[in-house]
Parts: sequence; structure tokens; C-alpha cells
Amino acid sequence: MSYLPCGTYFESYADDQKWWRTNFIKGKMIALVVVLAAAPYIVGAQWMSVLYTINYYILAALGVQLLIGYCGQITLGHAAFVAVGGYTSAMMVLFLPWPQFMVDTGLVYPISIVCAGFTAGLWSVLFGLPSARVKGFYLIMTTMAAQWITLRLVITQLSKIGGREQSFPLPPGVIKIGPWVIDSDEKIYYFSVILVIVCLIVMGNLLRSKIGRAWIAIRDNDIAAETMGVNIIVYKLLAFFVAGFFAGIAGAFWISALFFVSPENYEWFYSLLWVGIILIGGVGSIQGIVFGSAFVVMVFKLLEMSVLTLSDFLMNSYPELGWVTTKIIFFKESAFGLAIIFFLIYEPNGLSYRYWQLKNYFNLWPFSYTGK
Amino acid sequence: MSAADDLGFKSEIEITKDLTLPKLFVTQAKKFGDSKVAMREKEYGVWLPVTWSQYLEKVKQITLGLVSLGLERGDKVIMIGDNRPEALWTEMAAMCGGGVGVWLFQDCLMDEVKYIVDHSDSKFYVAEGQEEVDKALAIRDECPKLKKIIWDDPKGMRHYDDPMLISLEEVMRIGKERMAKEPGLFDDFVSVGKGDDIALLFYTSGTTSLPKGALLTHYNLLTMGQNLMRVDPCVPEDDFVSYLPFAWIGEQMMSISCGLQIGYTINFPEEPETAQSNVREIGPHVMFAPPRLYEQFTRTVQVKHLDATWLKRNLYNLAMKIGYHSAELKFEKKPVPIQWKLLWKLAEWTMFSKVRDQLGLSHVRHAYTGGAAMGPDHFRFFHAIGVNLKQIYGQTEIAGISVVHRDGDIKFDTVGTPIPNTEIKIGENDEILSKSPSVFVGYYKAPEETAKALIDGWLYSGDTGFIDDDGHLVVFDRSKDIMILNDGRKFSPQFLEARLKFSPYIREALVVGNKRPYVTAITCIDYNTVGKWAEDHGINYTSYTELGQIPQVYDLIMRAILEVNKSIPEAAKIHRFANLYKEFDADDDELTRTRKIRRAFVEDRYKEIIEAMYDEKEIMHMDTTITYEDGRVSKIKADIRLQSVKGGGSK
Repeated sequence: MSYLPCGTYFESYADDQKWWRTNFIKGKMIALVVVLAAAPYIVGAQWMSVLYTINYYILAALGVQLLIGYCGQITLGHAAFVAVGGYTSAMMVLFLPWPQFMVDTGLVYPISIVCAGFTAGLWSVLFGLPSARVKGFYLIMTTMAAQWITLRLVITQLSKIGGREQSFPLPPGVIKIGPWVIDSDEKIYYFSVILVIVCLIVMGNLLRSKIGRAWIAIRDNDIAAETMGVNIIVYKLLAFFVAGFFAGIAGAFWISALFFVSPENYEWFYSLLWVGIILIGGVGSIQGIVFGSAFVVMVFKLLEMSVLTLSDFLMNSYPELGWVTTKIIFFKESAFGLAIIFFLIYEPNGLSYRYWQLKNYFNLWPFSYTGK
Repeated sequence: MSAADDLGFKSEIEITKDLTLPKLFVTQAKKFGDSKVAMREKEYGVWLPVTWSQYLEKVKQITLGLVSLGLERGDKVIMIGDNRPEALWTEMAAMCGGGVGVWLFQDCLMDEVKYIVDHSDSKFYVAEGQEEVDKALAIRDECPKLKKIIWDDPKGMRHYDDPMLISLEEVMRIGKERMAKEPGLFDDFVSVGKGDDIALLFYTSGTTSLPKGALLTHYNLLTMGQNLMRVDPCVPEDDFVSYLPFAWIGEQMMSISCGLQIGYTINFPEEPETAQSNVREIGPHVMFAPPRLYEQFTRTVQVKHLDATWLKRNLYNLAMKIGYHSAELKFEKKPVPIQWKLLWKLAEWTMFSKVRDQLGLSHVRHAYTGGAAMGPDHFRFFHAIGVNLKQIYGQTEIAGISVVHRDGDIKFDTVGTPIPNTEIKIGENDEILSKSPSVFVGYYKAPEETAKALIDGWLYSGDTGFIDDDGHLVVFDRSKDIMILNDGRKFSPQFLEARLKFSPYIREALVVGNKRPYVTAITCIDYNTVGKWAEDHGINYTSYTELGQIPQVYDLIMRAILEVNKSIPEAAKIHRFANLYKEFDADDDELTRTRKIRRAFVEDRYKEIIEAMYDEKEIMHMDTTITYEDGRVSKIKADIRLQSVKGGGSK
């Protein structure tokens, strides 16, 4: 049960199920929007890429959270679906013979985003099919298969299209939404914020609908869910579709930031990273995705900064220790692994649980529990 | 009375001898119509609203249904059940049809139900559900005047096909048909009523004898509500939570007398068990409860405080020091220095507003307590956290209350000053006499009792007290406030009990010592808090009886007694005590239904323990019977420890 201040009561279920039930929450949300809008002016230009990377990870990890955190279907191949989204969007923008007025009005890229969502969704359903039969480790294997199959397909098959290699640069000006040409870090950031807000709202609403309840029922106990009349195959596939859809959107967004598509942006490492993000953020929590993404991206950024400073320092002061600098570069990746280990041991419920505890600490003030 | 000018007087209704509650009800319902919620009931997790026009519609149907079933003017309609909208609808309908409402406490035992049904000559018995219907079916052969038993909760009622039973739904259907045939009938019924007609027959839960039925007129109830609202005005937007028994005059006063005049929204909790959390959801603006409820609040705070983390605990302690100091200055009517005001603001912001929020008292403008004495510690506590708690004094015979504290003029050893149009004087033997338009017309079928209580329009309360220098009334205990030790020294048992009950571990206490060498106490531990304390300290127990007799628990209670002993005169110090094997209970006649202790009865019942305490025994064996809620009786065997308090009162 969430905490509500004294004097908050609801006369109908519609009111009871509202998202923003108190003025305090409304205020918090408005403040959040203001902060997000003002962020570029607060943090400065060099941090813009960090902010939109966080948003990209949120979008990508959204589907992972849905599958693992809400439907109990463990996936380790999510980067494949992001790749499908990225390639679909990029290729649609580049190679389809769009009528000129659609190019001029900037409809091409938005349409390609939606198509990317659907393609990735359907691709994801394809690899979700085994989930009807297999669970747990075996499902992990099938989703990993998605990773290898997809990337190999891209590398071997796509290289022939348009006579290019499998990587496509996107010429400036093609990423355009209506009259809005996305060509600066700031614009990418705002674009990502809008996408994240829309996707989180969709996800949140799905989770409090019949569909979301069915997913959670499957997660908690699939046999019990089936006994209660939940068609688990349909709902599992729907989960794969929606997760793939979000991944497609993430992929389609990311090309606007990279101006480029290339298989190395969809390595298996990313599939692992997004699972790591939800472990760190908290499995089964929408806020967890945000916390996890922010945490991981910030840790990477801070490590990068300190490693750079350290190696500069070493280079200047002790040139004979130059070999150390090449070694400490790898600290970055291992730090991520360490973080996951520490979280699994010390905070298995993730950052969102810490946040909940923090809120509770003040909600229960000056006591430590409610009730008698 | 400046606040009253701002809020209440403008919209104040004019009470004539012609006005009745039903007439006022119809006017209010038409005035508010569909635009305002008259009552809410929490059902299925949400607060389902009933607007004033729906309220009127329901009452019309029930009234005509009752009339069709044979309700005549002056017939009694007895009601029993939880607080729920249907309860108010039937009460209002009974009055609209010219009948008289009678309320029973829901946990009344069969004998009491039979006595009141029979004595009141009730024709209709309105029950909530199966439990209450069963009570009625069991006694109906001995109550020949009873015609119909009406129920509204269908749970468990499927296989009941007694011809005497009828569902409220059915009554409403009959009423609806009648309404279609004779649309003006309801208004006719309402219009014949006069202010001096009897509205309610109220059985008082006297601490001394069999219940007496006080007859209250519409005029009594209306003037009562108006005079109280003149002191502490309410507005139609206010919320009130109705969860104390309707058979208690205080609840009638708030829900009917005041509620109808102001038109505030009355909220009904989901179940009696969820009342506390439901109150918190609503956040009422006004509340009236007997002291035990406030005692429960303080106990909750104290226990949770003990379990809080270090930082929270210490900040709370600090804030409470500020709160107590400021409250003390207010009580003494001294100006609060600016630095204390600032500190209080800070404490208010960081601590008190949250404590009130946790208790559900965030919006409370006026909190009243009455019906029994409340300890000064509780009073200080509530004022320290910024709750405007006031003592009130009254009785059923005056339709509720006659004396109340005014804002900014609160003395916790008094009950305040008379409300408008009310006179209070002290008669012979310090008896409190009162006179107001709300004084009842007499006891039902008891002219002798009436003659004793009502002389020249003055109500002889049987309570004793005096009026202090500030014009505040001070009320003594109903039996005797001051007891005398056999060496002539005086002490006040009620005061001591109230002090003892401030300890979270003591739920009830009986202090004895009249004409004895020293003061002793029988204490009832609080099962929840002491149980939790025992668990925290690794002490095993299986039952209330066993827990109470554990030596460590005795030491715990003794520490609480030592705390009380610290601040009282030598003579009044508690010297010995014993934990009772059970809590005092209204079903055993130890408490009244409003949980006042029946001192003489309890002293007599536990005279063996008391004797043993004065015999300086260490332990005594006890054989006794207890009565369960359903009326079953069982035997209990227990060894009771008797313990002396270190440094207790001198012999």
C-alpha cells in the first residue's frame, strides 16, 4: 500500500486508481518536468551526451524490465531487437523512395520510428515463441540465440543492400521530425526526454491494465495464472511484442544520436548491460529502470573521467609507468561487473527499493512503522 | 464568540416549537439537493457517496414502508447495528413517520436487549444483520409488542424465512409503491410533527442501576446542536466520521443534532475494525470521543515512538519538550515569548504536523472528549502536538452536553463553562444542576425517577462538583471523587487512575483505599503493548492471564507506578498493586457501555484480591467466572501475584 497523507479519500475507483492522487505528487511531477526541461542549461553542454545516453538506456531497458521484471521471462538478447529497430529506421529513412512532400514535412523519420517498433516487436515475438515451451535457463539460451542470429544476419545479408557495407552513416538533415531537424546534442536530449516520458506512461498504463495484471500473474506463478484463466502463451508473446516494440523505438532513437548504424553498437555486451541495469535499479520497478540507467551511465562517465585524469597524471609525472595506463583503461568494464556483484549481495532489491525506503523514512516520520 | 459571528450565526436556523428534525431534514435535503454529499460509506475500498437528495429519497421510502407495515405516531422503533448509512436512514424515517427512535448498543447482551425492547414497547426492531436478528428472534416471545424485525445486511440471512422478518430492501419497495400511489403522504407525515414531540428514547448506561429511558424531544435535540455550534461553529464543507455507537448520546449529538443543522458530511467506516485507518483517510474536522479513544491515540504514539530509530526518537523528544512548554504557557494563559513561538513553529513543521497526520488529526479544529475523566497527561500531550482538545460535560438527559471548554480557555482539571442558553448551579451536597432548552421531558414509564431528576426545570444530575474562580465547572466522580484513608488523609482515585493510564502498558486501573491504611491499585495490562514488550525482551507467554503474572511484567508496571508516585502527595502514593487476570469488560458489568468503570461493583467483585493486598500476601489463588461476548460463561483459575511498590505510600 502506498502512503497517502491524512484526509485523502476517493469516492470512485477512477479516483482511487489515479496516478497523481495528491497535490504533493502533482507538485513533484511538475518539478520533475521543469528540471528535465532546464537540464541542458544546468549541467552544461559536455554532459548532454551523458543525459541522452541515460535516456537511451531507459528506453532499451524498458523492454528488459517488462520481460524479466513483470513477466518473468529472462532475456539476454535484447540488443538484437534494438538493432532491428535501428536498422529498420535507418534503412527506411535512407533507401525507401519517399515522396518529396513527406521528406519536406519531416514525416519520414517519425513513421520509421513506428515501423521500427513494429518490426522489432514482431522479430521479438518470433524469438519469444520458444517461451511457450521452455523456461528459465533454456529461455535464456533461446534469447541469446536471437542475439547471434540477428547480428549475423545483419552483417552477412545487409552488406549487399545499396552497395554499402553493413554500417550506414546518416547524412545530416535526414533525421527530421516535422520542421524540427535533430542536429545538436540539446535537440537529441529533448527528443529523448519526450520519448522516455511517452514510453514510461505507456508502460505504466499497460501495467495497471488487465494485460499488466496478467503479466504479473505469469511472473508470480505461471501455473496458477493459467488456472485462473490467463492465456499464458498469448500474454507471454504479447510481452515479447511490447518489449520488442520498446526496443525498436530505442533503436530508432539511437540512430538520431549516432548519425550512424553499425553492428558494434548492438553487441551482446549491451544485452547484458541492460539486464545489469534492471538488477541495479530494481527488478519489477519502473523507477528502477531510471535509477539503474542513471547509475550505470554516471559510473561509466565518472570512471572514464578519473581514468583519464589518472593516466594523464601518470604520463606526465612517471613516463616510465606508461604501461599502467593501458591496463587501467579496462577498469571501466570491470567496475560494471563489480557493481552488479555488490548489488546482488548487498542490495538485491535494487536502487528503487532504497528509494522506497528513503520515502518511507519520511512518510513514517516520526515513527518507524504504521498500524498499531 | 467572534468565530461564531464569522461562520455559524449567519446560517443559523431559527428553532421554533414547530420545528422538528424531519422538517429540518427535508429543508436541508432540498437546499443541498444533488450538489452536496450527505454521507459516505466506505465499501469495497472506496467511499461511496450519498447525496442529500438520495438521502431524502431513501428516507421517504423507508418511512412509507414502515407506515404501511403499521407504524403509528408515538410507536417505538428500536435499532441495533454498526454505524452505516442505513442506520441513519431508518432513524430519520422512524422520526419522519412520527415514531420514536431507540438505540441499542451493538454488544448488548441478551438480557439487556430484552429489557430495553420490552420496556420501550418497541414495535419494530431494525437489525443490521444475522447476529442482531438472532438476538431479536431469541427474545421475541418475551416481548409481545414486537411486530416486525427488519434487517439490511443479507449475509447469512438466506435461510431465514420467519414471517416476522422483513428486509429493509423490501420495506423500501413497499414504501416506493405507496409513494407512487400517494405522493403527498410523506410530506403530510412530516408536517404534523411538533417540536415537543418525542424524537428519541434514550437508554442511559447508568453506572449504578438498570438503564433508564430518557425521553428527548425534537426541540431538545435541535437546541442542543445549535448551542454547541454557537461555541464551535462548523461549516457544511466539514467532514465528520461516525463510528462510535449511535446508542451513545455523543454520537447522536454530532450526527443528528449538529450534523443536520450544519449539513456537514457524515462518513461511515468500512468495518469497526478499520475505523482508525478510515478516520485517517477522511481527516475529520470535528470529533467527539470518549477518553479511551484519546488514550488509545497516546498509547499508539508512545509505543511507536519507543520503536522508532535513534534520530527520530531524539528529535521527537526535543520537539515534545518544546510542545509541552508552549502548551503549559497557554494553559497558564501567559504570553508565549517570540523565541518559543519560533521554536514551536519549527517543531510544528518538522514533527507535530506529521504526528497529527499519522493519527488522522490533521484537519481537526475541535476535538471533544467527555463521558469520563481524562488524565492531565493526555490533555497536555494533545495540546503539545497542537490538537485543540476540549473537555465537555453533559448527560443524556440534557440531549448531549451542557458545558464545554472555550478556545484559549482550557484548564484540564475542569470541564469548561456552560454553552449558551444553559445555566449551571451547584445545589445541595455539591450536586450539579443544569437548566437549558435541551433538558429532557422525563424518564419513560418512571415518574418517580423523573420527579427526582427534574425539579422546576432544573436537571438534577447526581454528579457532584463545584464552580471554580474562573467560572469553570469542576466535576467529581459519580460515586465519590475524594476518598479518605483511615487516618484521615485524602486522595482522588479517579485522578490516580487517569495518571496510571497514561502509561502505554496499563489499559485500565482501579484504585482503592477508602477507609484503608494506604492506597492500592488493581491494574489491567495492555495486551498489545505489554505483549510486544515481552517479545522484545525474550519473555514467553501464552495468554493475557499468564503475561500479566510474569515477574518482569510486574516490574514494568511498577516502574509506571513509580513514575506516577513521583509527582503526587505522600498520602496518595500507590503502595501495592496486582495485575488482574483479565481486562475490565462491559459484558461483565465492570464498565458501562461507554467504558466508565463501575467502581462499587468492581470493588465488590474483586474484594478478595483487595483484601489479600491489605493482608500483605505475596500471592493469592483465584477461582472465578468470566462471560464471553456471546453470553457463555466459563470458569477461570489463576494465581495472582501481589506486589509492593518500592517507596510506595506510607502506611
